[in-house]
Amino acid sequence: MSEKKENPMTLAESLVEYGRTKGASEVEVSINEGSQFRAAVRDGDLETLTESGPKTLRLRVFVDHKAAIASSSDFTKATLTALVDNAIARARLSGADEFAGLPNLEKVGAEIDKLRIFDPAILEMPPEKKIAYATRAEAIGRAQKGVNKSLGSSFVTDASTLYLANSKGFAGSYRSTVAYAVAGFEAGEGTNLFQDAWFEGGTTLAKLPDPEVLAKTAASRVTRLIGARKVPTQNVPVVVEPSVAAALLLGLFAECIDGRGVAQRRSFLVDKLGEKIASDLVTVVDDGLWPAGFGTVPFDREGVPSRKNVVIDKGTLKSYLLDTYHSRKLKMAPTGNADGTTNFYLAAGASTPEQIVASVDKGLLLTGTMGLGTDPTTGDISMGAFGMWIEKGQLAFPVAEITISANLADILKGIEMVGNDLVFHDQTNAPTIKVAQMTIGGTTTKS
Amino acid sequence: MNEIERREFLKLTGAGLGVLAMSSLFHDRLLAGTLPADGATLFDERFGVSRETMAKVLATALSRGGDFAELFFEYRVASSVRMEDDLLKESSEDIGLGVGIRVLKGKQTGFGYSSDLSEEKMKSAALTAAAIAASAGTVAPPKLTPVKPDKQVYLLTRPLAEAPLADKIAMVTEAYKAALGHDPRIKKATVIFGDELQVVTIANSEGLLVSDTRPQARLIVMATAEANGTRVTGSDNAGGRVGATFFQSNGTMPKDIGKGAAEEAIILLSAVSPAPGDQPVVCGNRNSGVMVHEAVGHPFEGDGIWQKSSIMHDKLGQTVANSIVTIYDDATIPHHRGSMNVDDEGTETRKVVMVENGKLTSFLHDRLSARMTGVKPNGHGRRQSFRHIPIPRMNNTVLAVGTSDPEEIIRSVKKGFFAHSYQGGEVQDTGKFTFSVNLGYLIEDGKLTAPVKNATLIGTNLQVLKEIDMIGNDLRFFLGTCGKNGQGAPVTAGTPTFKIRQMTVGGRA
Repeated sequence: MSEKKENPMTLAESLVEYGRTKGASEVEVSINEGSQFRAAVRDGDLETLTESGPKTLRLRVFVDHKAAIASSSDFTKATLTALVDNAIARARLSGADEFAGLPNLEKVGAEIDKLRIFDPAILEMPPEKKIAYATRAEAIGRAQKGVNKSLGSSFVTDASTLYLANSKGFAGSYRSTVAYAVAGFEAGEGTNLFQDAWFEGGTTLAKLPDPEVLAKTAASRVTRLIGARKVPTQNVPVVVEPSVAAALLLGLFAECIDGRGVAQRRSFLVDKLGEKIASDLVTVVDDGLWPAGFGTVPFDREGVPSRKNVVIDKGTLKSYLLDTYHSRKLKMAPTGNADGTTNFYLAAGASTPEQIVASVDKGLLLTGTMGLGTDPTTGDISMGAFGMWIEKGQLAFPVAEITISANLADILKGIEMVGNDLVFHDQTNAPTIKVAQMTIGGTTTKS
Repeated sequence: MNEIERREFLKLTGAGLGVLAMSSLFHDRLLAGTLPADGATLFDERFGVSRETMAKVLATALSRGGDFAELFFEYRVASSVRMEDDLLKESSEDIGLGVGIRVLKGKQTGFGYSSDLSEEKMKSAALTAAAIAASAGTVAPPKLTPVKPDKQVYLLTRPLAEAPLADKIAMVTEAYKAALGHDPRIKKATVIFGDELQVVTIANSEGLLVSDTRPQARLIVMATAEANGTRVTGSDNAGGRVGATFFQSNGTMPKDIGKGAAEEAIILLSAVSPAPGDQPVVCGNRNSGVMVHEAVGHPFEGDGIWQKSSIMHDKLGQTVANSIVTIYDDATIPHHRGSMNVDDEGTETRKVVMVENGKLTSFLHDRLSARMTGVKPNGHGRRQSFRHIPIPRMNNTVLAVGTSDPEEIIRSVKKGFFAHSYQGGEVQDTGKFTFSVNLGYLIEDGKLTAPVKNATLIGTNLQVLKEIDMIGNDLRFFLGTCGKNGQGAPVTAGTPTFKIRQMTVGGRA
């Protein structure tokens, strides 16, 4: 039942054309072809080996500003044409929305080769070497003092090619790769156990450090928590480690400046453009063109070219991150963020992490959080937390089973120090920061 | 959620998968004749995959020395409609087609998948999966014997996948109007209706050949209220493996769901922060199911048991909870979101009691965890799609009803916290968990007083199981999508009102 192989771009363009002849005002078709590899190792043995070639087609049609979308991994011709027919019929039943439609055609300026998001060495790496990397990282981690056991280690590579065509004449494609390794360990005694994992990798093989670096980082994230205890409920300054500052604070902030959330008024940053929302030390940037970044793309899923957007400039909110629809609705210039944030970061400051910890008389070094307690509508944060207690500028003892509670609006204004330790480790990145105050929930103080 | 798979998880969510839906392609074929439709016929007739082809692919999968091979064929049609800003914003239709091929060799798993169901492509995926084993040899194709599931737990009358789009538009419009019309302080509402129909055929090297046709539908409403510079969001939802009549019944009509979301938002407008610290916590029925699922359920899943990462791995037969606590998972409850006739490995589902009167009696197993712990699989192998490896998962997890009147439970607390609804929860294999409460109340002198937002509950699994000292008689179910190892699975969790003697509540002082 296999049909004649067709070049994906040709297929995308022919479906765009088909949609136009069937009455759609505008049509967009994208095809993603991938090649994924994953090897997982536990206790020295290869446990899972996965290889696959995912393939998905997505389409959007507009009929007089009425929208419908569809996707399929069934590439049978009859299915694909029926999918377009159905989408056109469904679009006619949608409400007309003046902002709905394809982006204006913009030339993609980026030289794709210079973005360094495709590394053939990742594809050429033999499976045995990938398995060996994961095995070695796991072995080194398990041998670290205080580690009880391994939660497994894995090596993953992913290569994909995206083809995008639309009825305004956009036709673009690019290839991308990632390779990364993950290792996780457990430490602790009795029921006071700690588990965590770490990953290293990037869009090029050169981003992958020696497995020892991965193993030791992953192991130290749990061994430093051995013997952790609760502390009494109190308000204290909090030093936030880079990984938590990125995942928790920038993660929630990204939701709050997303055009969709802003248009739906599900953000505490509605109507705040041009206002001072953070301390002078805070500059936040989204840069889709950062070379070899996890989030780097020449254009977003609508074909809008990537660019560098300064979101907070020295404390002042400068921009939201927008797709085409919300840029029209909010009457702002497009930012190329139909896929959300690209490479999103808090710019480095001047202080060393040691100076930041030394500045705290009594407080918390926040190294991990648990739970989903963030609310973009209010900016409220309420999470389970792990970390190290700071006394007189020194790390005193590990703490766990506490909660942190704060509001992102207060946190942004209360950032008193920003570290010089920004590293592009993930898609969202931050240096160490010091926040003036958060509420720690723990044991109830006797009064 | 397992941290190990974080990149994978990010990619999954980034790709916008997991959107439930409704559709119109091939329903004539899928739903013709008596239900459930025979999925095996679908894959044979439409994609030319005969029983002989399946057997040959299974033989290829075992050609490198694997000891078990399995084909998971899936065809899924899903669709959704969304209303926002007084407009029907968008509708979607998504089609998933493919086969996942798995080979086991001892504790090892090899896996590959293909969306192309030609014999050549399937054999190529089978060889990928086969590579987990390293010897060679020829294996005779297994004799596949079709069996039918021994039960039918879905409502396939008037399936929503067949309903015209206009009907679904009418439903979201009704919910939307109910939310916005509830109170002038409701400024925004978003309503999403999604339904899907999943046809699976599972064939394995032991000769099993079984098919299942599974409907799923859900209506979700989010309502944002604004007053005096405060902006809050409430939500409500309903659904299950049901047909159109479900949404025409009292309590689950679209207008009821819209009103539920709006009511929560209005209450949240006046909510205060909780008093942080250790205190008695009463968990309300229905939504506190998320706590039963996360804090209680996850550590009983078989992968954490054989890998010895779960705190429960060495506690079978031991007392792990207060004697009033009984916990079970039952995938056979009719029409529930987490129900299945057979699991995604073709094993018949049945009720599994994990804790009986405080004693740990069983874990939740898929084939691999059952094999590794020397027991039989008990119907809990689930996978998000043909692209995923089955892993032990919950379906409908329940804290069994107790004898207390819910009012009496609240009356027993002089000063404490009542949890009504949650944004979500997370648990580690160590048993440590965190829940974010969307709406709670202070308990003062045995009565619910001020509404509370921005609260967090933290603790450990074993501590909570032992500290549950009152259980109500008012069981209700919560609907959710559980994320684990980057895979989403539709679930419910049921609970009556229950009390935890002491627990840490986080909030702002």
